[in-house]
Amino acid sequence: MFKNLKVSLFLACKSIKRGNIGTTILTVMIMSLIFVNLIFLPSIVNGIGETIIQQSIDCVYGNLIIEPKEDNLYINNVNSIQKKLNSLPGVVGTSARYVTGATFTHKSKFVSGAVHSMNPTDEEAVTIFHKGLIAGEYLSKEDTDEILLGVEITGKEGVEGEEADLGGVTVGDKITITFSNGVIREYRLKGIFDISVMSINSYAFITEKEMESVLGLENKASEILVKVSQRGTEEEFKKKFMELGISDDIKTWKEKLVGVMESILGSFSLITFISTIISLIMAVVVIFIIIYINTVNKRKQIGILKAIGINQKVIIHSYVMQALFYCFSGIVIGSILLWFLVSYMVANPISFPMGDVSPLVEQQLIVTSMVSLIIVSLVAGFIPSWKTARENILKAIWG
Amino acid sequence: MIKVKNLKRVYVMGKVEVRALKGVSFDIEKGEFVGIIGPSGSGKSTLLHQLGLLDTPTSGEIMIAGVDVIGLSEHEKTIFRLNRLGYVFQEYAILPELTAVENVYLPSMMIGKKRERYLKTSIDILETVGLGERLYHRPHELSGGEQQRVAVARALVNKPKILFADEPCANLDTESSRHILELFKKLNEELGQTILMVSHEEWHKKYVDRIIYLKDGLIEKM
Repeated sequence: MFKNLKVSLFLACKSIKRGNIGTTILTVMIMSLIFVNLIFLPSIVNGIGETIIQQSIDCVYGNLIIEPKEDNLYINNVNSIQKKLNSLPGVVGTSARYVTGATFTHKSKFVSGAVHSMNPTDEEAVTIFHKGLIAGEYLSKEDTDEILLGVEITGKEGVEGEEADLGGVTVGDKITITFSNGVIREYRLKGIFDISVMSINSYAFITEKEMESVLGLENKASEILVKVSQRGTEEEFKKKFMELGISDDIKTWKEKLVGVMESILGSFSLITFISTIISLIMAVVVIFIIIYINTVNKRKQIGILKAIGINQKVIIHSYVMQALFYCFSGIVIGSILLWFLVSYMVANPISFPMGDVSPLVEQQLIVTSMVSLIIVSLVAGFIPSWKTARENILKAIWG
Repeated sequence: MIKVKNLKRVYVMGKVEVRALKGVSFDIEKGEFVGIIGPSGSGKSTLLHQLGLLDTPTSGEIMIAGVDVIGLSEHEKTIFRLNRLGYVFQEYAILPELTAVENVYLPSMMIGKKRERYLKTSIDILETVGLGERLYHRPHELSGGEQQRVAVARALVNKPKILFADEPCANLDTESSRHILELFKKLNEELGQTILMVSHEEWHKKYVDRIIYLKDGLIEKM
């Protein structure tokens, strides 16, 4: 067995070393591009998923979100709950919010949406809105007549169209809000934020103090966002929260996102699947053609090898080894190309409606792509060499 | 060494049957240098292909060194060719991607001999055939005669019981042909190598011990 492999390796090495160098370079380049293609598109899809998750944690749900039990509109005794949660080791912060429907009006423009309340200090510990300010200032705890708006609501000055925005309001402008309970109040635009995510840029914030005055409520909340120090530990915290006696509905970001992620990533996964299949077919075709042409051109040599007593398996293995050489070289060069490509795209992410996306290359994806490419190379190297090597010796030598 | 009994080979090409060998019987003793001579289409090469286990006869018997080789499986035939037979083709059938010495030691490598041993044996044989200075040249750097000598060296490297040569001088000039034939004669006389050579050249007769004349797939005389 070992001696046979030694002869196969000897023949394969000599064939690669002394064969057509141009063909070898071209084949390896094609294989490397196929490898890049196998990883690149799925890693972009992974990147989109990761962006959605991170933006959702950073802006919408936190790591965990507590919501009122069914049939209840609000969570009660919020101050006490927040105090309990904040006392747990690993909890970085909590932010209680009221959420209510509203219509924003500025001159002749109006937009319908939701208004969130915040305790600015608590919110800073949980979300990233304070980092996304592009104009004006963040809210202060005692502000009552000021509002923070996302760039999708403010709109851009001079840009007319069918967009649902206020047509380019700027810091200092007066915005009239009609709340869902009929209360109408005027607010000065204190700050504008841009988080690069279309849906999150449609958020509007007033202070908790102001919202309680509008709704006539106290020590209640529509939701409490909780940030923990380490992503992935949410289930443990969920148990701890329940042990603390919190009877409201506790959900992790995963539970909140499951439907959204399935619908968004489901569409992408089909594209990724098609792209992967095409890449693998390309790999099969390239290796098959190269080995097929190689074996057809060397039909006579294969006949001679058999005639002098070289085992058929040794001949087949030597071509399979050549196919594996193309495959491994392609993987190595492809990995280098991929490293450059991913590094560039991490520094220069692509803007998607759900945020700035960089490719996320997972170890499992690399391993799967390598294994797939090795398997197709083995098959594509084996079939043509097996077909030629089993031919009658005299027919192979003299045609 | 070789016993051939009523050997027949019929090729079927569509509806046409070509009877290349019509029933050939002969014996060859160990250490003999036998020539097979005959006109084109007489069945010389077909006979050698059957004896060299490159083809399977339609009927008949071939015993080589006491082994009924027709009954061997393809895999057993390959091992038999590797260990016991040497074959020199009409064309310089050596591998273009290997140097002279690599071409020669390949069959020894396949047997599983140690590198030092097969390298030394291969160099010794190449020196014997006069290519001591051309060990690391590739086929395209060698003349036709030199390539054929590499093929002879390769056929001898595993010390075969029988050396088959199928018109080894067909593509060579007279000078190169003489080199090859003298080499065969030397191997036969000095090492007792059994050789069976196909030829259609009259002047080759002087190198062989005896001749089997073939005509129309039958032995005309021995």
